[in-house]
Amino acid sequence: MQRPLSSFAFAPAVKVKLINAGFHTAADLCDLRPLQLSKESGISQQEAVEVLQTVRHDASQGAGAGSRMTALELLGREQAMGAIVTFCSALDSVLGGGMPVGKTSEVCGAPGVGKTQLCIQLAVDVQIPVCFGGLGGQAVYVDTEGSFMVQRVVDVAKAAVEHCSLLADDAEQREALKVFTVEDILSKLYLFRCHDYVELLAETYLLPDFLSQHPEVRLVVIDSIAFPFRHDFEDLSQRTRLLNGLAQQLAQMANQYNVAVVLTNQMTTKVGNGQSKLVPALGESWGHAATQRLILHWEGEQRLASLYKSPSQREATVLYQITGAGFRDVLSSDHASADSSAIPSGNAPKRLRTQADDHQT
Amino acid sequence: MDFRQLELNPRIISAAKKANLKSARDILGLSGPDLQRLTRLSMSDVQRLQAAVAVAFRKSPPVTALQLYRGECPDLEPRHRLTLGCPTLDCLMRGGIPLSGITELAGESGAGKTQIGLQLCLSVQYPQVHGGLGSGAVYICTEDAFPIKRLHQLITQQPRLRPDLPTDLLHGLCFSDNIYIEHAADLGVLQTCLSQRVPILLARGLARLVVLDSVAALFRCEFTAEESSKRARHLVALASTLQHLSHSFNAPVLCINQVTDVVEHCDASQFRCGLVESAVLPALGMAWANQLLVRLMMRRLGGVPSLGAGIGAARRLEVVYAPHLPRASCLCHIGEEGVKGVLSPDSAHIVSSHMDLYGKTEV
Repeated sequence: MQRPLSSFAFAPAVKVKLINAGFHTAADLCDLRPLQLSKESGISQQEAVEVLQTVRHDASQGAGAGSRMTALELLGREQAMGAIVTFCSALDSVLGGGMPVGKTSEVCGAPGVGKTQLCIQLAVDVQIPVCFGGLGGQAVYVDTEGSFMVQRVVDVAKAAVEHCSLLADDAEQREALKVFTVEDILSKLYLFRCHDYVELLAETYLLPDFLSQHPEVRLVVIDSIAFPFRHDFEDLSQRTRLLNGLAQQLAQMANQYNVAVVLTNQMTTKVGNGQSKLVPALGESWGHAATQRLILHWEGEQRLASLYKSPSQREATVLYQITGAGFRDVLSSDHASADSSAIPSGNAPKRLRTQADDHQT
Repeated sequence: MDFRQLELNPRIISAAKKANLKSARDILGLSGPDLQRLTRLSMSDVQRLQAAVAVAFRKSPPVTALQLYRGECPDLEPRHRLTLGCPTLDCLMRGGIPLSGITELAGESGAGKTQIGLQLCLSVQYPQVHGGLGSGAVYICTEDAFPIKRLHQLITQQPRLRPDLPTDLLHGLCFSDNIYIEHAADLGVLQTCLSQRVPILLARGLARLVVLDSVAALFRCEFTAEESSKRARHLVALASTLQHLSHSFNAPVLCINQVTDVVEHCDASQFRCGLVESAVLPALGMAWANQLLVRLMMRRLGGVPSLGAGIGAARRLEVVYAPHLPRASCLCHIGEEGVKGVLSPDSAHIVSSHMDLYGKTEV
């Protein structure tokens, strides 16, 4: 009740008027009616109604459930959220277990390096049952380029199912395998097709509703976010504003609905000092949008993934390859890719978490 | 946009109308704070407005991948591809050219790119059961004149290329009637052609394939080295027009591209995109490469042809990248009847590791 009014999310003009009229804390407002408040502070009646509703709602929620948390609670919550494995164990260990749920990650790369393949792999891996160390969730795939091919998803899904059936030890895992078939995987992958940036923005406004109707979704992939924003935009400052708004909405959605948001970005050539190099597209300000940034690039014939920006993991570069079965490790000896498992069997969550702990110390 | 259809408070609708926001695009194309400034509504009202407009604007509900797999949404995932006319080449491409999105074929001059373009113009005319689309093709030439003699030769030799087809079908089709040839010497003419004539042909069902031979020719002569950003903008605009046509009419677009020599410097590998052993790379740079769905390269190999009679040396058709294809290549020969793939022993693995589109294993 002693919460100061400046900490509420009102428009700055409204805040100034309230403070000038002498209202400083929530307690000052709770006994007033909208008409009185609007007369005394000079804000419109509509605004007064909203201010009072917000203050009362906050008061009824008690000790700010959801708005205040200790760091220990936050740590517990983050660890409980888990991560989505990529089946490339080197990349998983660099990422601290996999793509983090509850945060936005960006994957940048030149065409053909494997961004869409990684997204498809994640969309299948998020559905791995909990007893195998996965999240048992569903996936939303927003396709803006037209590069989503069901044929490829079927390949990756088949390989994942085979991998899990090789690992199945106990009765619980065999039971879980019965609902982890290729058709089940396909039925839990929702595809949204957007042809331009307006459609993409419309889908982003509608995603929160979709996520509340489908609470099992744990992954939202947007492949790619650069494509619709890179043509027919004369006003680049409008593009920056739209992208910033989009980034904020996605970050909020990731946090509120407990989903991992993975965005794919293109590369563009930047010419400077007589040299040209590849940098992620959409400008410098977009670099701040995602929590984590992964850059996929070529080094001769090899594909490398570099963790370029992360709040909790160290920058590192690993090798990976794309096989018929999907996104995999590069093994030093020429084994069949079926051996390169990233899912430890048995008590998988514990092992994943200790790996993550090792990395964070 | 009809505001009355939206489930919104009339106050919000009148504020939007007063701010001169007429269509869904106007409202959705502005960020939240911009809309707040224009309409003087509160943030929660603006969010309600955007959500209501988005619901009305959304054209199709989300689908699951299972529905696509079962063929319940033919617009989003047509369950077939456009055949290249040869079973070995189709096997390399897992069925053929995808029906929506831009497929690029790059190569040196004389590699055989135009041959593939012509072959596709003929294979598109067969009915769907034989791998075609039952419609004609638009062939846009930007460089030389259209190779009409070669087209006639290919038409007469079709029975040799496609022995699996019934002869009455082959004789019943009048191939040259269904190929529409356009010449575009500069960008302006090309834009006019793509915005006026080609959509009409596609909309009437007279054509369902667009071949652009070649895309690099227009861009390499019109823009100087300093105008690279202007060139990139035009490239992206052209790609966007082609993609729009391709998606609206489910018509494959084949763009033939030239190649450029590689200038070696320390950071070259990132531009090579994995094509390490190649002395040439597809032209037009990253701006164009980002717009493609499938990139193919055709190379001319030195040496004497060893299998049968072909025109000159053997060729190699390589898949550089595609969302559904591994990096693989296939030897091919260009004969009188067209381009035919060759199953050499080392390319046999392409056949065995590829499955047919939806589950059956090809031998």
